[in-house]
Amino acid sequence: MEILKSIYEVAGFIVLIALGVAALEGYFYYHFKCHDRAWFFPVALAAFPAAAVVAAAAILGDYQFRLWFYFLAAEALIAAAFRYAVKGRHTVPYLLLAPAFIGLALLLVYPFVFEVYLSFHDLKLTTIMMWKNTGSLPFVGLRQYFDVFTTSPLSEVTFWALLGRTLVWTFTNVFFHVAGGFALALLLNNAIRFKGIYRTLLVVPWAMPQVVAVLAMRGEFHSQNGFVNIILAKLTEVFPFLVSLGVGPVQWLSDYPLLTCTIINVWLGIPFMMVVILGGLQSISSSYYDAADIDGASYFQKLRFITMPLIKPVLMPAVTLGTVWTFNNINVIYLVTGQAGGTEQADILVSALYKAAFTYNRYSYSAAFAIVVFALLFFISVTYLHGFDAAKEER
Amino acid sequence: MLRIKKYFSGLRASGAEVLRDPIQRRKFLKYLLIHLVMLAVSLVFIYPLLRIFSISLRPGDKLFSTDLSLIPDNATFVAYASLLKDTMFLRWLWNSLLITLATSFIGVSLASTAAYAFSRFRFPGKKAGLILLLSSQMIPAGMLILPLFLMIMKLKLMNTYLGMIIAYSVSSLPFSIWILKGYYDTIPRSLEEAALVDGTSQVGAFWRIILPLSTPALSIAFLFNFTTAWNEYLVARVVLFSSKQYTWTLGLFELQGQYITQWGMFAAGSMLVTIPVLAVFLYSSKWLISGLTLGSVKG
Repeated sequence: MEILKSIYEVAGFIVLIALGVAALEGYFYYHFKCHDRAWFFPVALAAFPAAAVVAAAAILGDYQFRLWFYFLAAEALIAAAFRYAVKGRHTVPYLLLAPAFIGLALLLVYPFVFEVYLSFHDLKLTTIMMWKNTGSLPFVGLRQYFDVFTTSPLSEVTFWALLGRTLVWTFTNVFFHVAGGFALALLLNNAIRFKGIYRTLLVVPWAMPQVVAVLAMRGEFHSQNGFVNIILAKLTEVFPFLVSLGVGPVQWLSDYPLLTCTIINVWLGIPFMMVVILGGLQSISSSYYDAADIDGASYFQKLRFITMPLIKPVLMPAVTLGTVWTFNNINVIYLVTGQAGGTEQADILVSALYKAAFTYNRYSYSAAFAIVVFALLFFISVTYLHGFDAAKEER
Repeated sequence: MLRIKKYFSGLRASGAEVLRDPIQRRKFLKYLLIHLVMLAVSLVFIYPLLRIFSISLRPGDKLFSTDLSLIPDNATFVAYASLLKDTMFLRWLWNSLLITLATSFIGVSLASTAAYAFSRFRFPGKKAGLILLLSSQMIPAGMLILPLFLMIMKLKLMNTYLGMIIAYSVSSLPFSIWILKGYYDTIPRSLEEAALVDGTSQVGAFWRIILPLSTPALSIAFLFNFTTAWNEYLVARVVLFSSKQYTWTLGLFELQGQYITQWGMFAAGSMLVTIPVLAVFLYSSKWLISGLTLGSVKG
């Protein structure tokens, strides 16, 4: 019974969305087709704000008189734009784009703007009821941004420590991803047997659901039952001299959480880089290598002067993507340290952001924090892409 | 023995020749080394998966043994049975499936039309739209969770399927549009032009010609949407709070959180969700990757 109920619920929602999309298309179609008719403005201004107010009342559950004015003003602007600027041109592409971009506007752009709004106000556990009932919040100006740089998002670690840790984390991970991926791709690019099998086995960490992969690895770093420590213990049994070098079972999760997360993430990230680089290697024509062989080039010369430059256009976007992904990787760190009693020694910026919002319930503070992190990431990405474009010009 | 060597090295020469000729011998050693390294690395890469498998087969009293063998002594399926009987695992799978199917359906429908507009038409704002799609990928993942959470709360959709579907539906949209646009670009325009001459509309040409031809790309976009939503954890953690509504990711985290009692069930559940995902991924990985590198190779 409950299964039937859940199917009805979801199917009904999809029908609702389809109706919404149809209404949207009808709305825009009217504006495209009728923008030069005499009755365009009266009909538009009478019908659409009324429909919007009814829809808002249905969604929000209460009727708000002031919405009339907002919708009326918005409709006047839109109708004027269609009559004097758009003039019915490019009907088909805009109608095709409308649903996707309205969706993006509602669920990507609006949340972003809302985040900016939150960062200048004060939403926390004590003010959330007020916000729920009245929709208004105390304005605090730049105080949240000031707090981001001066107080801890969690209980003790500071923004600057998190920033340093994030940079180290990103650099270490991307370095090992690229180095490991490159080495494996070079090996796989030989004409060896069972290449397909090796390739399949090597992408397993990437193909597994990340939650399963991380949680399983977390279990394997457990101090007694994890295989890492079991193997270390066996090693020291067989080679007792290792003990004097400091090798032996360790409390991974409590003593070295960041190292543990890094090892897990390196394991997770190598396959992607390997596959991308392998694709690039296979697209390099063998005639370059034949020519180099005739000139008597050594293996490393070929690597340095043929492979490296030719792989760069494939590698650069992958590294950019990898950097952004690693910088943003909440999953690994949250799943390893996120439970009650979890440590904050391993937190990077984004995981601290998530915990500040949902473990400590400091909503506005984390909004300001998010804006700062976004600015940072944007700056890094633009620098990267700029470097990439410069490299392309050179070529 | 020599036959085996020849088989592994992938060389044409017979074993004896290989050992006599110094160049052949070097080549043989090189391939042997490569195979050894590959075997070792492959083992390291899949070892955690093998471990989950072996733990899921352990009888209840042996869960914490330091045994490293693949198939434990007295292997049983008790953990699987109790997972299905004593927890709401099937219910969690069902929740995940429903949410994921709905979001993938919405995402692919929206992406297919938008990508067609980007592929076939020139209009003001085209470049800006494409840049918006690309730059949306730079927004930190955790950044939009908070406003989405507050929106869902305001709409009173906490702990419901609809809240989850709303939160997920556009997250893979930019990437799907990107993949589909790349695919549409490879379909010759003359096909549509012929249809237009025969009297169909532009939209009719899209519906009757382009969509049926794009089934491979559509299924890849669907798979991408599907795996993203299927494996999602962070949004679900915030939106869902009663264990009846959990998706499987939350359920597994809970099983593993109560480390001491549920380790075997966690392993069994992990195996059950991993095997289908793994199969689908390996089957589709070639296309997924070509989709990932599409923009860059062309650039």
